[in-house]
Amino acid sequence: MHAALLPLIALATGDGAHAADGHGAAHAAAAYADVGTLQFAKATVDTSYGWLKWMLLAPLASVALCGAFAMLKVRGRLPALFTVASFAVAAVLAVTVYRQWGPTLFSTHAPLAVPLMDWLTFRWGDGPFQSFTANFGLYLDGISILWILFVTVLATLIALYASEYMESDVKAGYARFFFAVSLFVTSMLILVMSDNLVGLYLGWEGVGLCSYMLIGYYASQPGAVAASKKAFVMNRVGDLGLALAIFLIWTNYGTVQYDGLFQAIASSGAGTVQGSWSKAAIPFLLLLAVCGKSAQGPLFTWLPDAMWGPTPVSALIHAATMVTAGIYLLARMAPFYTVQAIGSEWAEPALLTVGWIGCATAFIGATIACGQFDYKRVFAYSTISSLGYMVMGLGVGTAFGGVYYVFTHAWFKALLFLTAGAVMHGMAGQVDFRRLGGLLRVPGFRITMLCMLLGCLWLATAPFSAAALSKDIILYQALTSDVEQVRWMGWLGLLTAGITAYYAFRVWFRLALGPVRIEPGPDQHHGHDDHDHGAAGHGHGGHDHGSHGAHAAHSGGHGHDAHGFHPHPPGLRINFVLVVLAVGSILAGLPTYLEKSEGFNWIQRFVQNSSAWIRATGGPEHGQILGRDGHGTLFVLATGVVVAGIALAWVLHAGNRALGDRLRDSMLKTPGLKWLARGSEHGWYVDAVYNALLGVPLWLGAQVLAFLDRFVLDGVVFAAVGRLPGFLARVFQPLYVGTVQAYALTMAGGIALIFAWVVWIWLSGGAS
Amino acid sequence: MNPVQPLLAAAPLAPAMPANVQLTLALALILFAIGLVGFLTRRNMILMFLSTELMFQAAALAFVAFGRMWMDLSGQLMVIFILTVAAAEAALALGLVVLLYRRKETLSNEAWAELKE
Amino acid sequence: MTLAVLLIVLPLAGALLCLAGTERTAKTVGLLAGLVTLGAAVMMAREFPAWGTADFWPNQEGWRLFTAFGVDFLLGTDTVGMILILLTALLIPCSMLVSFGAITQRQRGFYAQFLFMEAAVMLAFLARDVILFYIGYEFTLVPLFLIVAVWGGSERRVASIKLWVYSFVGSVVSLVGFIYLAAGNASAHGGQMTFAIDALSQYGASLPASTQWWLFLAIMGGFAVKVPFVPVHSWLPLAHGEAPTAGSVVLAGIVIKIGQYGALRFAFPMAPEGGLALAPFFSALALVGILGMSLVCWVQNDVKRLVAYSSVAHMGLALLAMFAFNVVGMEGAILYMVNHGLSTAGMFMCIGIMYERYHTKDMEVVGGLMQRMPVWSVFMVFFAMASLALPGLNGFVSEFLCLMGVYTADHGVKTGFPGILGPTYAFLAALALILGALYVLRMLQRFVFGPLREPHDAQHPPGGEAHGAHGHHAVAHDLNLREVAAMAPLAIACIVIGIWPKPLLDTIEPAAAKVVAPYVELIQRAPTAEKPSDGLALNAGSPLPASPAAAGEAAQ
Repeated sequence: MHAALLPLIALATGDGAHAADGHGAAHAAAAYADVGTLQFAKATVDTSYGWLKWMLLAPLASVALCGAFAMLKVRGRLPALFTVASFAVAAVLAVTVYRQWGPTLFSTHAPLAVPLMDWLTFRWGDGPFQSFTANFGLYLDGISILWILFVTVLATLIALYASEYMESDVKAGYARFFFAVSLFVTSMLILVMSDNLVGLYLGWEGVGLCSYMLIGYYASQPGAVAASKKAFVMNRVGDLGLALAIFLIWTNYGTVQYDGLFQAIASSGAGTVQGSWSKAAIPFLLLLAVCGKSAQGPLFTWLPDAMWGPTPVSALIHAATMVTAGIYLLARMAPFYTVQAIGSEWAEPALLTVGWIGCATAFIGATIACGQFDYKRVFAYSTISSLGYMVMGLGVGTAFGGVYYVFTHAWFKALLFLTAGAVMHGMAGQVDFRRLGGLLRVPGFRITMLCMLLGCLWLATAPFSAAALSKDIILYQALTSDVEQVRWMGWLGLLTAGITAYYAFRVWFRLALGPVRIEPGPDQHHGHDDHDHGAAGHGHGGHDHGSHGAHAAHSGGHGHDAHGFHPHPPGLRINFVLVVLAVGSILAGLPTYLEKSEGFNWIQRFVQNSSAWIRATGGPEHGQILGRDGHGTLFVLATGVVVAGIALAWVLHAGNRALGDRLRDSMLKTPGLKWLARGSEHGWYVDAVYNALLGVPLWLGAQVLAFLDRFVLDGVVFAAVGRLPGFLARVFQPLYVGTVQAYALTMAGGIALIFAWVVWIWLSGGAS
Repeated sequence: MNPVQPLLAAAPLAPAMPANVQLTLALALILFAIGLVGFLTRRNMILMFLSTELMFQAAALAFVAFGRMWMDLSGQLMVIFILTVAAAEAALALGLVVLLYRRKETLSNEAWAELKE
Repeated sequence: MTLAVLLIVLPLAGALLCLAGTERTAKTVGLLAGLVTLGAAVMMAREFPAWGTADFWPNQEGWRLFTAFGVDFLLGTDTVGMILILLTALLIPCSMLVSFGAITQRQRGFYAQFLFMEAAVMLAFLARDVILFYIGYEFTLVPLFLIVAVWGGSERRVASIKLWVYSFVGSVVSLVGFIYLAAGNASAHGGQMTFAIDALSQYGASLPASTQWWLFLAIMGGFAVKVPFVPVHSWLPLAHGEAPTAGSVVLAGIVIKIGQYGALRFAFPMAPEGGLALAPFFSALALVGILGMSLVCWVQNDVKRLVAYSSVAHMGLALLAMFAFNVVGMEGAILYMVNHGLSTAGMFMCIGIMYERYHTKDMEVVGGLMQRMPVWSVFMVFFAMASLALPGLNGFVSEFLCLMGVYTADHGVKTGFPGILGPTYAFLAALALILGALYVLRMLQRFVFGPLREPHDAQHPPGGEAHGAHGHHAVAHDLNLREVAAMAPLAIACIVIGIWPKPLLDTIEPAAAKVVAPYVELIQRAPTAEKPSDGLALNAGSPLPASPAAAGEAAQ
């Protein structure tokens, strides 16, 4: 606790983020892509941890039970009970393994390996490249333990929340919902605990499937179904990268199991890898996979549409856990982004690409979020932006910063989504913040709005918040870097922080303050509360235009009757979860303040004892920004942009809303600025561009191919060939008059001909 | 290399043909010709059937003749086989003829030409 | 031997019993015969001593049917055949079970045809003589033709004729190759005619490369029609489109597998040099099939045609993996036969059940069935995911192995996988992952999800089958127990193979290695086959022993 006495400013800006390197102090101030000697602790195989399989089997049992309930059409609340209980079991086991293995891990750096069961394994020779092994096995190092800790705890909380939130579906998809959520947690745990890349791929696609099922949960809504398909297909693009990366890794290192792989990388040495495309391609293919799962770069557009899913799903899958799988993959595969693994020619470009993808996504996500009126979509874009920050963290060279931000983000973004869900739940699915207001004063919503305030503060990275502590590590690392491009990323990141502060409070000021205003949404019967929130996004559904009907189909069913509407304040379970998450969000910053062990804080030790240890620091200790002391300057700058952002939001959306509205109107009327407002509102038309450049041409090409196949190849070519015997038959047809005698005569004639031929050969001496 | 060559090569050379065999074969040929002409010229299904029987017996006779020539019992074996088949076939064919007659009240085969396109 | 004969005789006897019985008993008799055959197959699998080897069993002398032409009635099979026999024995009763409701006319003939088909397929998988195989292979056409032509949809005449002509022409082309081999073999061995597979394989491999080129083209070309390969695939969509449900199940699950089995058993071992020389050609065709047909799937509205085209794409991948000439790819390809059989058969069952209720296969007409038939939707989504190669389900294992086999096919120095394919092929083939997601999800989007759309009664065909009795307002009901019983075994098999593929992989491996071995030897003999790519150059410094253990092991 003595750490709390240290100067707050230094703490807030990530002092302590850097420390002596545990494996070799030689490169404390490591060069960007050149990290010196690579060295990894070998995993300790300990089968006495076999009980860890219950972490997977408990949610799997819930999958089976919920599935049975869904198939047998049993109505009831039991599925929620199974799910929460099984997640709680998993959480307890996660904490147990942390407590049991953590000390060993932190002292010896050795990950825990627990083989469970054979899966894909075969040998065809005795050489090092003549076998392939990808089994079910667990591999627990720092980052996997960190991930299972927050995944299981958050999953338990969110499942508890969902048990109330989904209450109106008890007679419909309740069991199906919890089936998918349980399957999701199982897959997510497989993803982070597997001891090999193929197992990771299993989890990777498994969470993708669950995401697909849950985005399309309201299956009668064409928009939801289109969104789910879009998510799956875009994720598949990323999966393709992962699959190819796995092949490349195997052909280069002869193994896909982490333990052997890291040893192989370490022993391959820097000198031998120059100019090898097959190694240089690995980090880029992995990045493609990350782009798919974490909605980065060119593949970000599926995430906003994923908001068609029920809000707890958005919180759990599309904010806190699944989308961070990409960050996990980057951290896990961090050794590939070094000169030592792939050679000096490509290591720096690979790392810079990661940084720029993250940085650009963070910026673009933030700019789009400013133009949304659907508060859930604002949070969706903020997630894209935050994920961009994390990816940028790894790109600028601090896995610690990225992972720390994953951890804090998981708490406050889950909190934000759940408060958004509580509002939607209470307001019959109203998602447009222009139609709501003053909710802070509506009875029953105070806890919700206060929690949302906390979430917005954290999203805006208010000074001293957990989010700021983690995000500033990334910015500090970027701004103090030796590489000029990385410094540029830092400046752009700083600007993004300001924009983030603005749009976060734009939502909160509009929703919480001002005169009370409640226009209920389309779901007055509280049946399907999330149905219509895709309003701003409908029509983005890709090539087929099935999603257009969402609104029309819906508005027919429900009358918008504002007069008889009573908001439905959140109940005990929802409020409990919100408060717990709020406390969690606050406490997530504690690792920075609490005592450090050997110079590392709690989160940092996880990173330090994982395959990402080479990126476990957070910038040089006495770095300089703009020629001044790094920590102080960054604190001033970061605080400045955040305060500026919040102040702007205050002016436009709380203090003088009329001004804000007028500003927007005049922007829309000014030809030069119109594109800015419209573009931001429509996600810079990325979907439309994809549709025009890829979707439509491909669709037309497929139509042409189908036509060629059916009518040209089959209809003309083969039909012509097929007619040939028919034409020949016409020549001889007159011989066949229908009487038996005629046939017999033909036959006899034929025999006579053959006979004559034989005789002729005989006579001419041919058969001698 | 002609793949069919070994098949031809495997066939044994024919020995000189004794006169009685030639006579028997001539009889078989005459029988066959009678049967063939009968089959081709008649329209009555029973007569046509009888003609095919004649052709059968011609073939059987040839078998016996060749069997005698090679001093091989296979020829006679085949004759017994043919007789058995012919008996069975006669039973079937006559039954068919009766059925066909019942359908169209005629024995002429011209009544049945439906396979013609 | 007894069991092997029983596998052929039991379905034949069942078929005759079906025909001898009445319309009402036919389905029971048929199902029982199918189940008894399944029992026999399981018993044979339990007794089968050759699991995990490349040997044949039973392996004793058979009878000779014709002395003159050396055709042996010699039965016996290896691991691959045994697995396919099990698949056949499983799919036939399932497909009969699923048609209980749909087939209301000429039931005796219907169930008898399936059992005839089963007997023929069993003969093909059990034959150790080319002609015997050919008899079984050809005979499958007769019941299939009848099934499509008698119980098929509105275009059944065209479909059945096309099915017949394509398959028949294809197999005749193969037959020419076989006869050429047998005749040549006879002349090389003093006129002793034989059609034994082993003898012909030995002889074929000894022929000059140019002869083998033609030989491979003939044999493989014939089987390519059945597989089917682009551009001789166009009989399949039509046949699937018109066949009754069970017909599609058997066609996709079993019959087209005989094509791949034939390639594996005959084309590859009988003309290795030809196979090597023609590999680029067939690989290119396979790639065209994978990508082109996946795209074509995307725009189909008739769901049975869609699944048929997807079969062309999937089998293209399996064949591509075979042309990678390495153990991994070959294992993947063999497993693919089973997995594609299971998942596609399941999909066709789902579609057939839906067709039974709505009399349409058009995804523009029916949709949102999750609200009407939730259990059906579960199965539909499940089998769709299996065919999408979702990890944890069976399709993934084989697809992963196939892609890996193709990918690693040029890393001969390290892996003992000297091949002619490589990352480029693998990358192109892997694009099917995305295209597959596109068309499968589009199908699910229309059929399973979205707002409920049901056709009007007007769309029922005149004299509609069983539904006339229920009146016009009958609401489609969800799966009944019988239908679940027909599909559940397939679903369980999908999961088991997905999670626990090791026994299968282990047992397939020697057989796969045996097929691959001559190719490995050939490529390693030729100095030009190894083109140095920059990825390899680094490791070339420490080459491993050139002859991989698998080749040596399998040569025995």
